[in-house]
Amino acid sequence: MSVFAVRSMAAAAALLFSLVPALAEEPVVNVYNWSDYVAKDTLERFTKETGIKVNYDVYDSNEVLDTKLMSGKSGYDVVFPSASPFFSQQVRAGAYQPLDKAKLPNAAGLEKMVMATLTKVDPGNEYGLPYMMAATGIGYNVDKVKAILQEAPTDSWKLLFSPEMLAKLKACGVSLLDAPTEVVPAMLLHQKLNPLSESSIDLEDAMKALGELRPNYRYIHSSKYINDLANGTICVAHGYVGDLVQARSRAREAKKKQNIAIFIPKEGAEVNIDVMAVPKDAKHPDNAHKFINFLLRPDVIGEITNQTGYANAVPASVKYVLYDIKSDPVIYPPAEVQNKLFTLQVPTKDYERSRARAWTKFRTAKK
Amino acid sequence: MKQSRFPFALLLFGYAFLYAPIAILVTYSFNESKLVTVWGGFSVRWYGELLHDAAFVDAARLSFEVAAISATLSLLLGTLAAVSLSRGQGCLTQSFFAFLLGVPLVLPDVVIGLALLLAFVAAADVVGWPAERGAVTIVIAHATIATAYVAVVVRARLGELDRSLEEAAQDLGARPLSVFLRITLPLLFPALLAGWLLAFTLSLDDVVVAQFVTGPGATTLPMEIFSSVRLGLSPKINALGTLLVAAASAAVWIAWRLSLRQK
Repeated sequence: MSVFAVRSMAAAAALLFSLVPALAEEPVVNVYNWSDYVAKDTLERFTKETGIKVNYDVYDSNEVLDTKLMSGKSGYDVVFPSASPFFSQQVRAGAYQPLDKAKLPNAAGLEKMVMATLTKVDPGNEYGLPYMMAATGIGYNVDKVKAILQEAPTDSWKLLFSPEMLAKLKACGVSLLDAPTEVVPAMLLHQKLNPLSESSIDLEDAMKALGELRPNYRYIHSSKYINDLANGTICVAHGYVGDLVQARSRAREAKKKQNIAIFIPKEGAEVNIDVMAVPKDAKHPDNAHKFINFLLRPDVIGEITNQTGYANAVPASVKYVLYDIKSDPVIYPPAEVQNKLFTLQVPTKDYERSRARAWTKFRTAKK
Repeated sequence: MKQSRFPFALLLFGYAFLYAPIAILVTYSFNESKLVTVWGGFSVRWYGELLHDAAFVDAARLSFEVAAISATLSLLLGTLAAVSLSRGQGCLTQSFFAFLLGVPLVLPDVVIGLALLLAFVAAADVVGWPAERGAVTIVIAHATIATAYVAVVVRARLGELDRSLEEAAQDLGARPLSVFLRITLPLLFPALLAGWLLAFTLSLDDVVVAQFVTGPGATTLPMEIFSSVRLGLSPKINALGTLLVAAASAAVWIAWRLSLRQK
């Protein structure tokens, strides 16, 4: 073969390779999410409609996702971090690329209120769109609580923070979430203070009140309460609504039936939003946008809500959601409750440090 | 003198301590109820659901492949390392290398995982490989760790071997390679088998290191299990555990029979 032939072939090959990315991305999208956090047929439907293959990988904590994003070249195209504090920190660190709204026509169907909440962590909704969300609330054993306290305030943080109530409820077991980001704002609300306050005086007040209540909490843990509430081992649990709903349905299935009810306190509560975002160095950004747009389609996300039990932020999907789920006021809170839901901003370093220190002291205090 | 029953009771207690949790896991895998801790009648429905769960089946396949390949790799490297360390001339550098080889045994997984992740990211920047992390990087990471374990097991066995057998073979004119292949290797067989199984198990149940070095399209079984906790554990996990116990018991039983035949 002549030198010329080799050269021209090499040139042709180079041309071909340089053309490929311009024409289309390889038909693949790499998704990094929690296990079972989509409906059973979601991925299959997406592939059938678009011809794009989905690699669905899972992580077991936001921290793992964070490590991957921060070390760079994660290889993923769509990720689902929790809005606060993870997503907001990652946005600040420049881990994501801005979303191209022109490629996301379905984003217009997202609820304005949720989008407004997200602007606190992502100004202008530039980098992320809401996927699934759930508030923090209180779950309680109806019969046991009623037996101890005829007029228990089963709509308020008082059930968890009022010293008189707790002194009585102590006997049947009360648990707190092991998260200062959940407990401190709740306590501030109970004290009629601004839950987003970062003043050291407010923090001191809240921690002092908590410290006095410490002997009344059986434990401070972020997942143990699911089983304990379902089995009747404890009777009041501060928890994530998704987990509390699990406890409630387990309690219904158990032989020794426990009647578990859940509420979102009327004073207000935190809402945890999982966000869809595209890492800065994603190799298939077009496919990522297509995937996000697909997930935002009312029929698709409605089915995901049916199977995961978490609310979504697409109002038009409601007609696809099972009656039991959409009529549940803790999954789909009525407007007046929704107005009082909030997410935390990224705290200042100083505040974060003093809160962490106060929390450790509180957790490890002797009963 | 009558023998005390105390040692026997201790023995029973020890074995109960080891096996009771596994027995409970196996029992509950046949539970009809969706609750992991409440008995609701006998059923094999969770085995059916497990086999129809594509995510779990794929993750299990990947885990076994990664474990088998990384165990084989680490067996090769670990054996070579052990032989050269204990057959070479004794000197200071040698014990230094032995020390270096043992370091992965004591380092926490988090440290190894992060170090390997950073190494892979740096390598991708400098030499362009690995462009994408995935099954291959998990295999490399697991082989790196398991090599240290294999080397320890094989070195221990080499220390017990009778050198005169090798020397006799050399006297009779065997070349070093055929001494190694026909004398040393067969004598080492039980240790090699133990080393391979150890490496296989280490890889199969590792989640920390794998989480760090994995990439798109590579989710191993432990990752899938830990991630499913968020939306609630189901008895499917018990069924999966039972299958793993069965597979592991079969492997150990085969290894035991093989080592009996050796003797």
